[in-house]
Amino acid sequence: MTTAVTEPFGPLDPFVHPAFFYRDEQDYLDGTLPFVREGLEAGEPVAVAVPGKNLVLIRDALGDDAAAVRLLDMREAGRNPGRIIPGVLRAFADAQPAGRRVRIIGEPVWAGRSDAEYPACAQHEALINAAFRGRTATILCPYDVARLPEHVVADAYATHPTVIHPGSRAARDSDAYAPEDVVTRYNVPLPPVQEALTFAFDSDSLPHARHVAVGEGARLGLVGVKLDDLALATAELTTNSVVHGGGSGVLRVWAENGYVVCEVRDDGHLGDVLAGRRPVPRDQRGGRGVLLVNLIADLVRLHRSDSGTTVRCWFAR
Amino acid sequence: MNTRQQLSANGPRDPVPGLAVFPLAGRQGVRAAGEVGLTTRAIWEGVLEQAVREDEDVYYLELSGVTFVDVAGAGALAAAAGQLSDGRRFVVNRPPPALRRTLDLLWPGQRGIEVSAS
Repeated sequence: MTTAVTEPFGPLDPFVHPAFFYRDEQDYLDGTLPFVREGLEAGEPVAVAVPGKNLVLIRDALGDDAAAVRLLDMREAGRNPGRIIPGVLRAFADAQPAGRRVRIIGEPVWAGRSDAEYPACAQHEALINAAFRGRTATILCPYDVARLPEHVVADAYATHPTVIHPGSRAARDSDAYAPEDVVTRYNVPLPPVQEALTFAFDSDSLPHARHVAVGEGARLGLVGVKLDDLALATAELTTNSVVHGGGSGVLRVWAENGYVVCEVRDDGHLGDVLAGRRPVPRDQRGGRGVLLVNLIADLVRLHRSDSGTTVRCWFAR
Repeated sequence: MNTRQQLSANGPRDPVPGLAVFPLAGRQGVRAAGEVGLTTRAIWEGVLEQAVREDEDVYYLELSGVTFVDVAGAGALAAAAGQLSDGRRFVVNRPPPALRRTLDLLWPGQRGIEVSAS
């Protein structure tokens, strides 16, 4: 592992990032409501980004106080785990007055996350530590330990420095905390694909690569905004290959389980673990391509290896 | 891997889409046609740099003939808008969906850009 990969994971203080394990609705409310109410009483900005069913639970239990909380359905706002840091967590935290502690409940992992999505979820949880270290924020991450597989709960110990057990409000240190290991462990080759339209591109054929992707996306059933988004993602990823990834690459497009999937592979090395996950200051030129892909795709998976970089993105049909 | 269709960048292909720019008659601004991407970025940025130096309050970008603008192209427009002196603005007529989408997501409420559908 290179320095560039490990460096972002230093001491977190004053950032606080506990996993909160719950078994049922009562556990859930016992753990989340006091967290929200304490924040509101202290005048702290509070956001809750959890799956819709749990969002309703918290909203109803808060009553009138819910109006003071930013409520987001994580199944929408965080469907792509790569979108959560820039589009949900930092989007909320960065908009608050400096110095005041920000409280967020973020539940990115739920029973029913697909095998394609889960590695991105685990990496996202690990990368929160890099994206928020040194920031005055608390992000509480609920885990449904009654329904989630054992390995997911084990990963939560590795991605969170502290853990809160059901029936307890006290956070205990996690002995297994090792976020950089999680990022590396889930950096796996993407599953092989049987059949895909394949187009090798270079700087001369960049526009053609996008036209090929859009033509195939339309043939496979993408329409409207989703087709526009496929065009944008293809343009950004192929342009990155030409500018930063060795000057050429291979584009592939196929259909898979209700999605059109677009993949760009090149010989470049993407060292920055937070690439595409940092909000970019308004006056900075460039550096927004992968961020945009994360904001618009339904799922983004990345594989970095010695021989190059592969980015795969899913768009729902 | 089986591929349904193997296309190659080295095979026969249509000419690379460019970006053509024409001055507007009767008002300050340009009509553009084609695509804004890596290969046409310099042309687009040249238009925007010139626009920043003009002195009318409104600079019109008539983009109904533009089929695509990438993120860097949208960023160049946002940066140029940020350089306009107080009271000046771009009116962007009929931009392609990609430009609207990118501006909404990455530069929401950018000062100096008015998007118009007419």
